[in-house]
Amino acid sequence: MSRAWLAVLAAVVVLPLVVRHAIATEIWIFAIFGLGLNLLLGYTGLLSFGQATFFGSAAYVGGYLLKHYGTNVFLVLALGVVVGAVSAAAVGYLCVQRSGLYFIMLTFALNQMFYFTAYQWTSVTGGEDGMPGVPRPRLFGVGLDDSLAYYAFAAVLFLLSLWVMTRIVESPLGKILVAIRENELRAEAVGYDAARFKLLAFVIGGAFSGLAGVLYAMLFGIVPLEAIGFVFSGNVVFATLIGGSGSLYGPLIGSFVFIWLSESVSVMWQRWPLLLGVAFVIVVLFLRGGVVEAWARFWSWRAGRHVAPGTAGDAP
Amino acid sequence: MTLLSTEALAKSFGALAAVDGVSLAVETGSLHSVIGPNGAGKTTLFNLLTGQFAPTSGRILFDGRDVTGTPPYGIAHLGIARSFQRTSLFPALTLLDNVWMAAFARHPSWRGLVWRRADRFPGLADRARAALAEVGLDGKADRPAREISHGEQRQLELAIALAAAPKLLLLDEPAAGLSAEETRRMVALVRTLKGRFTIVLIEHKIDLIMSISDRITVMHFGRVIAEGSPAEIQRNPEVRRAYLGGVAAP
Amino acid sequence: MNTSLLLSQILNGVVTGMLYALMGIGLSIITGILNIPNFAHGAMFAVGAYLVYTVINALGNFWLALILAPVGVALLGLVIEYAGIRRLYAAGHDYQLLLTFGLSLIVTEGIIIVWGPVGMSQPPPPLLRGGVDLGITIYPKYRLFVMVMAGLLVLGAWLFFEKTRYGAIMRAGIEDKEMVSLLGIDIHRLFTAAFALGAYLAGIAGALTAPIRGLNPLMGVDMLGIAFVVVALGGLGNLPGAIVAGLMIGVAQSLVALVWPEASVAVIFAVMAAVLLVRPQGLFGIR
Repeated sequence: MSRAWLAVLAAVVVLPLVVRHAIATEIWIFAIFGLGLNLLLGYTGLLSFGQATFFGSAAYVGGYLLKHYGTNVFLVLALGVVVGAVSAAAVGYLCVQRSGLYFIMLTFALNQMFYFTAYQWTSVTGGEDGMPGVPRPRLFGVGLDDSLAYYAFAAVLFLLSLWVMTRIVESPLGKILVAIRENELRAEAVGYDAARFKLLAFVIGGAFSGLAGVLYAMLFGIVPLEAIGFVFSGNVVFATLIGGSGSLYGPLIGSFVFIWLSESVSVMWQRWPLLLGVAFVIVVLFLRGGVVEAWARFWSWRAGRHVAPGTAGDAP
Repeated sequence: MTLLSTEALAKSFGALAAVDGVSLAVETGSLHSVIGPNGAGKTTLFNLLTGQFAPTSGRILFDGRDVTGTPPYGIAHLGIARSFQRTSLFPALTLLDNVWMAAFARHPSWRGLVWRRADRFPGLADRARAALAEVGLDGKADRPAREISHGEQRQLELAIALAAAPKLLLLDEPAAGLSAEETRRMVALVRTLKGRFTIVLIEHKIDLIMSISDRITVMHFGRVIAEGSPAEIQRNPEVRRAYLGGVAAP
Repeated sequence: MNTSLLLSQILNGVVTGMLYALMGIGLSIITGILNIPNFAHGAMFAVGAYLVYTVINALGNFWLALILAPVGVALLGLVIEYAGIRRLYAAGHDYQLLLTFGLSLIVTEGIIIVWGPVGMSQPPPPLLRGGVDLGITIYPKYRLFVMVMAGLLVLGAWLFFEKTRYGAIMRAGIEDKEMVSLLGIDIHRLFTAAFALGAYLAGIAGALTAPIRGLNPLMGVDMLGIAFVVVALGGLGNLPGAIVAGLMIGVAQSLVALVWPEASVAVIFAVMAAVLLVRPQGLFGIR
């Protein structure tokens, strides 16, 4: 087993001893979210600024089913993944046909469409107030209400997600996506339908986002409107870039940094999004990719063959 | 037997007729060169053949089928491979991966696309290494493409085309920007390819063209002004006229 | 459905459409030249509106506010570009984008801190109160003014780009930055000017909007997505495209508001999705 995996396993075991269980769980959930985005951002070179669409949609569907029908937990998880993937297929189909700047703007605009729909559809989503009352499911007859039990559940799913993503980036698809990022014209000339592959990456990213969304709903017992909003989309982009989009493990680091940042800031002030924005600006301005890249390179070195060449500083 | 032919192929960009009614036929196993002054439309012709642009009018026939309008990824699957005039590689990937991409694309089955480890596809790594060896780059297989010299990149450019095991090779100025020694090596390389592949070659180096081609098509302002064997082309007065001020015919 | 109401709504759609077009043009300039989607564009719109409110309450004069507020936003844009975006050239476009995103968070929250979370209203200046009898319907003077004003601004933008030397430089900058800098033009000054110009247009759109829609801290965020829609449909740097796209979604929104008010915002995005399904390259793009 590689050293990176050992480090991750160690982190999974140690984390709940060091921070509150809920925060620890949130970190791994956000890491799953980030893994999905990074397949698009780091590997394919596509900056999707609307991942909350898939995260939030899955959270609403999963939350609704759990709340009103007490659906089996595995079914809910599977449906979350499917909702994430299907919504990503629909959004992705429109977005991959345009490149660069248009792609980013479209992912954002379509995110807004879902957001406004959720905002208005109060009978189902609760609108501004969100969807409270999402119960913790039962796993093989055991309730997951205990925070540590739920942490273990989420952590296992995270490890599973990490393993799946590792397989994906080491597969031919992983290389094809990097090739498309490096030189789309050449990739097409060599025989790859770039739009199709981008869509595939998008769908996979959506599936991961969907899983994260459902876990999020079950963690907090509520699906807030923000979960489908652009701030969430921006948060995962921030976390992934800061963690280092050039490596498989970047989203993990980014999740740590972001959750730590937002948790510290949220207890300070009611207007904490302001501080979060300030933190964004400071981190972006003063780390400027430099320190982060070094950090990412350190992790990449530790991860050995799990490096996806391509730096966070490259323009999409 | 004609492997590739075009019928009155034309491409206009607004008022500019980059390719203006080009009809040519390439025999299987031959090396057919396309020459002409800069701006004659040679690379545009290649772009039409590989589906990068759709023609304004005319047809392209490959292996007996009308392939006009097929997009680039489709063209690759038909067995047409191209090297680019301006080096077009995957800079961050290793040399091996650069060629592996081309080989995998043409692999009959894409099973395991998403879950199989890339190094577990039997035969593909061998095909890729063989392509690198063909151009003399197998020693550097694990270096990222952006780290090799320009000359080596031109070789890699060719290796990517070869790795696809194509029926037709379209080589766009493979010797572009190479030193005299590198050009000699490239010429020798192209010679070894002759006969094993059907080749359409665009080049400016006339001695290479004359010594290696079975047939030559001369383009000027998007049109074909002459076609024939090297000897016939050398004697052709139109060709000489076209080249005055450009690359001179020997 | 009576014709008076219908005409009013269509005119409302034209008014909002023109404002959307202005937002799209400003965004187009910034995005086209700096190569980043400006996530702070909506925030600048909001600042324009809130500045107008502040200046009117401080000085009592709408016209002065209308002149000063957009200039204030343009200055803000200048500072953002100079102190922020410019410092991130080396880090790449993704980071510049994140910066604008972070700034939009700061501005939105800042507005809540300074002016409170509750929406406010801003009445039009005395000169423009009341309605004009158009025969079929009586239409608010202020909205007609906005229509004319927006039209003049769009015309001004068009003249700037088509007829002036600096406008030509900007157009060239959208097309090919390398060439522009090779021609000896200071690319950094171009970037700053573009950002300030785009900010100005967002600011004046916000300033004009205040008496129509009122003010609320989220007005910028809502507008950002719409600006993106205009650019996605109309095309980067395509001024007539922005106008057509803006009018299209403005009128669609107004008409839908008559029958299904809750969907009136979502319909903007639905229209975009529908158009892109049929024409992925946007209304005017080339395939």
